[in-house]
Amino acid sequence: MSLLKKSRIYSPWLYHLHCGGCNGCDIEILAALSPRFDVERFGIQLVASPRHADILLITGPMPKQILPMAKRVYEQVPDPKVVVAIGSCACGGGIFYDPENYAILGTPDSLMPIDVYIPGCPPKPEAIINGIVQGILKLSKKS
Amino acid sequence: MIELILIIFTSFFLGLFYSFLIRKFSARLQWRIGPLVFMYKDLRSIMGITRIIQPLYDIIKLFGKKTIIPESSRKRLFIYSPYISLIFAFISIFFIPFSGISLLSNVPYSLVIVSYLLIGSLLFMIIGPIASGSPWAFIGVRREAELFLVTEFGFIISLFSMAISKNSLILWEISISEFNLVNITAGLLMFTSILGKLHIKPFDMSEAEAEIVAGPYTEYSGKLLGIYYLTKIFLIYDFIALFISIFIPINTLPIYLSIPLFLIISILIIFILSIIHVLNPRYRIKNALIWYIKIISILCLINIITMVM
Repeated sequence: MSLLKKSRIYSPWLYHLHCGGCNGCDIEILAALSPRFDVERFGIQLVASPRHADILLITGPMPKQILPMAKRVYEQVPDPKVVVAIGSCACGGGIFYDPENYAILGTPDSLMPIDVYIPGCPPKPEAIINGIVQGILKLSKKS
Repeated sequence: MIELILIIFTSFFLGLFYSFLIRKFSARLQWRIGPLVFMYKDLRSIMGITRIIQPLYDIIKLFGKKTIIPESSRKRLFIYSPYISLIFAFISIFFIPFSGISLLSNVPYSLVIVSYLLIGSLLFMIIGPIASGSPWAFIGVRREAELFLVTEFGFIISLFSMAISKNSLILWEISISEFNLVNITAGLLMFTSILGKLHIKPFDMSEAEAEIVAGPYTEYSGKLLGIYYLTKIFLIYDFIALFISIFIPINTLPIYLSIPLFLIISILIIFILSIIHVLNPRYRIKNALIWYIKIISILCLINIITMVM
């Protein structure tokens, strides 16, 4: 494996995009960074700007009002990138799922390609870490 | 000549090690583990053996990413200022003595050259983000510029009070002169200004995450961001080596004693910086300026009194 691919596995930076959820998943993401789970052991960091990120974490059922912003954030993440949908809402709409709903899109997979789905309401930090690891492995295969 | 080539690698790896240590110490002080020194045995095939060079992995990864250049930016300034900043920080490593090895620090006016190079590097860290055209970068840069001016005051006064008391503008002559009271007072002044220059916690308002996105570096991505990270690696080394060589008289010792002493003292400084980083909340820029003006004016006064005595 080349040094560049190794570095992609060794230092994935996450950007957390909140799309209208109940904040449950967001708290669990932060729990994954807390002393008990501490993903910084493996070089994972939460960054403040989407331009610095490798992995985009999406939570929430994606209200239609936020679609242009979400698309813009996705485009701001430089290639190669991976998108991880966290929680039941981001995976398929969750309790908000209704094809005729005028306000809520449900899953963002018609908007951007999603690489990893992590179901759960909210998913446990262990599940989130596992999902991020799957994302990292996908990231290392992208050119 | 060999020393000059060796110092490139030494400064680079020491800078990486120091920035790793800041992360590790901060993590340990927050009851986290931080980047692992020895990876767990069952994960070594995927995650590597050690993470001591974690900052290097970050930089290599950034070099392999796509660089986005915003349309609203002034492109030439936006692209070239990280490189110029890196060049300034890189050249200054040659003019700072490294534990008993003089390098280029015995050329005339080396103290002025070093202070000029360090100011230049920090200045281009401010100019690049101004050219990016992002409102977050503007807010960050404004804070950074104010902090830069106020820390520069203490930095320059501490450097030149040493120069006056040792009666020399050559860094090497200052570093091998006798230890006296000015070393302590000017050292304290320099330490307070290093806090602001390295963005240690009460003074990290220019990069305030979750408040102004990523501050000055909001629009930087890929290779250009990697260059800024590389500059920071060299700057950490520059400031710590400059601090030790001027204020702590280890350069008169034989080389087999001075190199371990340099390492021990530098790790101690990093440890103190990490403690300050972890224990403090973020100041508002106004509070930081008031704090600096209070502390620096008192320290300057003490400094001048000791210098006259």
